[in-house]
Amino acid sequence: MDDKTVRTIFYLSRLKQDKDGSEKIKNDLKAILEMVNSLKEIDTDNIMPLHNPLEETSRVFEDTVSSDNEKSLFLENAPESDGDYFIVPKVVE
Amino acid sequence: MKWEAVIGLEAHVQLSTETKLFSRASTTFGDEANTNVNLVDCGLPGVLPTVNKNAFYKAVKFGLAIDASINKVSIFDRKNYFYPDLPKGYQITQMEKPILEGGSIEINIDGLKRKINITRAHLEEDAGKSIHEGFKGTGIDLNRSGTPLLEIVSEPELRSSQEAVAYMKELHKIVTFLDVSDGEMSQGSLRCDANVSIRQKGETELGTRTEIKNINSFKFIEKAIEYEIKRQIAVLESKEKVEQETRLYDSIKNETRPMRSKEFANDYRYFPEPDLLPVVITDKEINDIKKHFPEMPKEKSIRYVQEFGISESDSSIISNSKNLSNFFEDCIKIVNDKVLLAKILVGDISSLLNKDAKEITDTNFTPENITQLINLISDGTISGKIAKDVLDQIRLKNIEPYEYIKEKGLTQISDEDAIERIILEILAKNPEQVEAYNNGKDKLFGFFVGQVMKATQGKANPKSVNLILKKALSNKHT
Repeated sequence: MDDKTVRTIFYLSRLKQDKDGSEKIKNDLKAILEMVNSLKEIDTDNIMPLHNPLEETSRVFEDTVSSDNEKSLFLENAPESDGDYFIVPKVVE
Repeated sequence: MKWEAVIGLEAHVQLSTETKLFSRASTTFGDEANTNVNLVDCGLPGVLPTVNKNAFYKAVKFGLAIDASINKVSIFDRKNYFYPDLPKGYQITQMEKPILEGGSIEINIDGLKRKINITRAHLEEDAGKSIHEGFKGTGIDLNRSGTPLLEIVSEPELRSSQEAVAYMKELHKIVTFLDVSDGEMSQGSLRCDANVSIRQKGETELGTRTEIKNINSFKFIEKAIEYEIKRQIAVLESKEKVEQETRLYDSIKNETRPMRSKEFANDYRYFPEPDLLPVVITDKEINDIKKHFPEMPKEKSIRYVQEFGISESDSSIISNSKNLSNFFEDCIKIVNDKVLLAKILVGDISSLLNKDAKEITDTNFTPENITQLINLISDGTISGKIAKDVLDQIRLKNIEPYEYIKEKGLTQISDEDAIERIILEILAKNPEQVEAYNNGKDKLFGFFVGQVMKATQGKANPKSVNLILKKALSNKHT
C-alpha cells in the first residue's frame, strides 16, 4: 500500500484527502489487507464462489407498473432543482 | 501496405418491458421528466431492488434465437463510477455470470453469408439522462434510470463498416421480431459502442484499439467506423502509434475525437451485488418461452411463397421487416389479389416510405385503404398509373380510395369502342409517325400509347390500348 494507491482510492471514492489522516489511513488499509491475506492460506481450488450467504434465490416481480409519480416530493428534497429537473454542478463530456 | 480492420461491437438493446429492471416504475419513453421515478430508481438509501421477471424472459428469448447457452443461475455485480445521472454511484450489471454466453448472428453481404460469434450478453440497468443545455448547471432526468438493457458483445470478427452495419441490422431484425425490444434507434432503444483496430493483412495479433461510444443510427455506425479506420491507417502509415482511448463520433463534422476525461484510467471495482440474490431460470420457464416462440423472418418468407404464391424476392423483402410483414398479414385477411398486394408493398409503397424516411406504421397507409386500392386495380376499375396517384393522395391527404376515384372520375376506361375512337383520332393526327412506325420504327408504339394515356388522363385500360392500337396500326399498314 503506497501513497499513490491511497490517492487513487480517494479519487475513485470522491473523498477529500486529509494530509494528517493519510498516514493513518494507509496503515489501516495495510492492516486490513494483511488480515485478508491470511485467507490465501486456505486451498479454495475445488470450492465454488459464494455470492451470497443466504441460500435463497432472488424475488422476482410481474412486469406491471405499480409506482406513484412522486416527482414533486423528490424535487423538493433535492439540494437544487429547476422545473422538472434535478440540478447538479455543470458536467460536460 | 495492405491493412485490415478488426471490429467488435457492444450493442445496447433496451428491452421492451413495461417496468424497470429493479423497480415497478414505468419505462414509457418521452414522459415529462422525473415522473417515472420511484425510491429505487433514484437510489435512496435503504431501498432494495427486486428483479423484473419479464426482462429475464426477453433475454432468454434472444438467447434461444441466436443459439446461445443460457445460464440458469445468474448473478448481478456492481460497477462503480461517479456520474450525476447514476444516482447510486454504481450500475447494477452482470460481470461474472451473464445470462447468456456464446451464440452467433449470421450476416449477409451481397449474398455472401458469414457467421459472427457472440461472446456474451448480460442484463444491466440504464442510467438517467443529463441535459447540459438550458440550465444553470446540468439538468438530470431519472426517467430512464433503471430501464433494462441487454448488452450484446460480439467477437472482434467484423472486418468493415459495411459488415458492422449488416450485423446491427440483423440484430435489429431479431430483437424486433422477438418483441425483445421496440428497436427505435431514434429513442435510443438500440445503440452501440464500436471497438476498432487496424493490423496488416495476414497478421494474427490484434492492433491497439479505440472505442467509439454510443453510436445511435445505422448511418452513423457506418460513417464513424469508416472515419476511424482511415484515421488509424493514417496514424500507422506515418509510423506513429494508435492511442488506446475512448472516442466520440461527431456526426456534424463527421469525425471521431477523444473524450476529454481520461486522466485516470477507469477502474470500476466490480464486486457481487450484495442486495440481490442469484436469479434462477427453470427448464420449465425456458420451455414455455420456446413454446411461444414467434415466427421468424426466414420461416415467414417461406410460408408467404407457399401460402400466397407471391414471388420469393417480394416475400423476402416483406418478411425481413416486422412492420411491413405485420401490415401484409393484416391485409391478407381481406385482400383477394395477394400477389398484387405484395408487389405494391415492395414497389410503390416502399419507395414512398424511403422517400419520407418513415416506417409504414407512421403513415396514412392502413390495411383498409390499401385493400380498397388493390381491389380497385384488380377488378380493372383503375389503371396502375392512377393507382400511383391514389397512393400519393393517401400519403398526403389521407383520402379514401373508393370515394376519391368516384369524386374525381378516375375510373378506368375499359369501353373498347371509346378507346378505339380515341386511338383512331390520334393516328389521324400523326400521319408521319404512323408511316415511320410502319417502316419499321417499332419504338414509336410507346409514343402512341403515351398519346392515348395523355388524351384519357391515364384512365385507359393499358391492356385494351395495346390490343386495339396494334390492330389499328396494322389496319393502316394494309
